[in-house]
This record gives sequence, C-alpha cells and structure tokens, in this order.
Amino acid sequence: MSQPSDQPGFENELDELRAKVDSLAAQLAQEYKMASLGRLLASIVHEINSPIGSILSNNQVVLRSLELVKSALGSGDAASLAKASRLVETCLSLTAVDKIACERIAEVVRGMKTFARADSSEARKVDLNEQLQDTLKLTQGEFRQRIQVETDWGEIPQVECHASMLNQVFLNILVNAGQAIEGQGKITVRTRHEGDSVHISIADTGPGIKPENRSKIFAGGFTTKAVGVGTGLGLALSKKIVEETHGGSLYFESEMGVGTTFHILVPVEQKNKAAV
Amino acid sequence: MIEKATVLIVDDEEMVITSVRAYLELETNFEVHGFTEPEQAVKYLEGNQVDICVSDYLMPRMSGIQFLTRAKHLQPEATRVLLTGHADKQSAIQAINEVSLYQYVEKPWENAQLLMIIQNGVERAQLMRELQATMSELASANSSLKDVQKKLLRAFL
Repeated sequence: MSQPSDQPGFENELDELRAKVDSLAAQLAQEYKMASLGRLLASIVHEINSPIGSILSNNQVVLRSLELVKSALGSGDAASLAKASRLVETCLSLTAVDKIACERIAEVVRGMKTFARADSSEARKVDLNEQLQDTLKLTQGEFRQRIQVETDWGEIPQVECHASMLNQVFLNILVNAGQAIEGQGKITVRTRHEGDSVHISIADTGPGIKPENRSKIFAGGFTTKAVGVGTGLGLALSKKIVEETHGGSLYFESEMGVGTTFHILVPVEQKNKAAV
Repeated sequence: MIEKATVLIVDDEEMVITSVRAYLELETNFEVHGFTEPEQAVKYLEGNQVDICVSDYLMPRMSGIQFLTRAKHLQPEATRVLLTGHADKQSAIQAINEVSLYQYVEKPWENAQLLMIIQNGVERAQLMRELQATMSELASANSSLKDVQKKLLRAFL
C-alpha cells in the first residue's frame, strides 16, 4: 500500500463522474431523437390526414352511390338510369382520387422505413442518393409548395455508414434550412464523389447566419428559434454523428441575404471499423 | 330544409375538394365552388355571394387564417369553418379570436359531422342576411314614419 489513502477514493469519484457524464450524454442524444421524432411525426400526421379523410369520405359516397345505382337498375326507367350513369361517373373519379391518396400515404410510409431500420449497430453500404430522396419525402409536409427543392444527384459509390444516423443529420439540416427560409425559397441538395469521400451539400436561400452566431451553431443548447421550435441540440449532435462516428466532416458557408450551405463529407469506407 | 346554398371550399389538396364536393352533391343540392389557390377564392368572393367558407389551414402563399380574414372582410355574414390536418391548439385559438370562426374541424373529417356543420352554417348565414334585410326595412319604414309624423305636426301647428 504505497499509494496515499485518499487516491482510490478520488479515482472512484472520477469514475463515477465519468459514468454520469456518459449517461447524461446518452440521455441527451435520446432526448434529441425524441424531439426530432416528435417534429417528424407532426409533419407526417399532417401529410397523411388529408388523404385518409378523402378515402374515408369517398368510401361512404361510393357505397351510397352503388346502393342508388342498384335500385335504379331495378326500376329500369330512363330518368333513373341516367342518374345511375352519372353516379357511376362520380364513383370512377373518386376511385382515381383514392389511388392518388393511397400512393401518397405509401410514399410517406416508405420514407419512415428509412428511419425505422434505425439502431442496427453495424455500418452497411448504402446509396446516399436514395437515402436523401427518402428523407426529402418526409419534409414534404413541412415544405409544401412554399419551398422548391432542387436536386443534383452525382454519380456516387455506395457508402459504408450508419444510414439511419446520417438520415437524422440530413433531416435536421433540411428542416433547419426550411425554417430559415421566410416565405418562399429554394433548397438545393447536391451529391458528388470527391476523392475517398462523398460530398453532400444542402443549400438554402434563407437570410444567412449572423456572423456573431457562426461560431456557436455547433454548440449544444444554442438556438435562435422560438421556444418549442428548436431544441438547440440538432447541429451539435449532427456534427458528432458525421465527424466522430463516421470520421467525416460537417461545416457550412453562409452569406447574409444570400443563404447558407451545409457541407457533409462522409468517407466511402470506414477506416476504423471498431469505432463505427 | 335549405333551398339554395353556396359553399366555398379552399384546400391546396385537390383530393379534399373532390371528396367533399362529391359528398355534398350526393346529399344536398348545394352549389359547391372549390379552389386550390386561396387567392382565386378571394377573387371569387369579391364578385359572388356565398353562404359558407370552408378552408384548409396550412397552405402555401396564404394560410387558412389569412384567407378567412379576407373572407370576413368581404362577406362578414358568410359562415367561416376551418378544416385542418394541422391540429394544434394555438391555430385553433388564433382562428376563433381573429376570424370569429364558427367551427374548427379536424382532418380526417367525419362526413355526417361536416354535413351538419355546413347545413347549420348555411342556415346561420341566411338568417343573418334575412335579419339584416329586415332591419334595414325597419329602419327605412321608421324614417318614412318620422317624415309622416313631421308632416302631421307641421299641418297641425
């Protein structure tokens, strides 16, 4: 026992603190995930409510129309038959509407699946163009026709990564871009193969990030958004996912009055497989 | 039963307009005018009387509240209803306070409930117009009565 008697106590305390910090970080990450899920769900609910309302209403109308057609066919007089043929036309057009409505719902659900594959702990090879397309589908509810989305898909190789985590990063940056734009605007998503990385850029035509805020935006807890809109965790966590988990880089350029572009670089192959 | 009524529907989703129109045409003899662009609906309101305006909330270029505010300004007697998939308390409160909303309906809607709201809303608008017409008749009758009274007084004094 050559060590001073208080040393093990100090070590223990340090270990305890480290464990506490780790558990708080995990909690924070989980909270962020829930916050972004909440936001996602709200926009999905909105996106699905109209088609569901339509389908339910159409179903009633078609049913009622068919009953009327049936009785018209039974009676057989000219006026009833004319009415029946009009009702059949209505049913045909409502069936076409139902098809569109179902496709809309299916599209949203397909986008959600990308997120549901979530917590597989192994990195796998994915096509990031496809992932971005799915994530863009989820933002449709939030953007509507207010924001025009332009895409420029480059020829890129499959990237070894945690797709669900990167999708969270994409979604976060896209939603931020959409919130930055006041009124009408444009978001441009571009992918390129550069050296041993894939370069994704997401540009908005928003007002730009104020110079005094530029050094703070990757810090956890910083937000310029109103209470209830942003958590101030999104970009901090995004940076962690891109740089620490994937060994890539996340940075931005911003010009007041012109807009902001976020750049995400992800290595095609994970060098340190253990860290992934 | 209401004889003739005009319903205006504004929703950026064509499918909602098609469905509500098909249902109303089956169940009522109301005239239904649907617009996917709020701006066009405003133009329609400038030249045509309607009994009820049913509007979506979240639309590009103009929100449902902005549209109903303009509708209220153009035709205050027409009943205003918000049909929204964006169900949050804040938008509901804002709508009730700013545009004196008659009803707030959430998507997906229930046809029978929507029909009842539209029928009651139409009846309300028509009664309001009737009341206004009667009141202005009363006012003009009152002023002609006063004229007669004046003449009588002059004749006697």
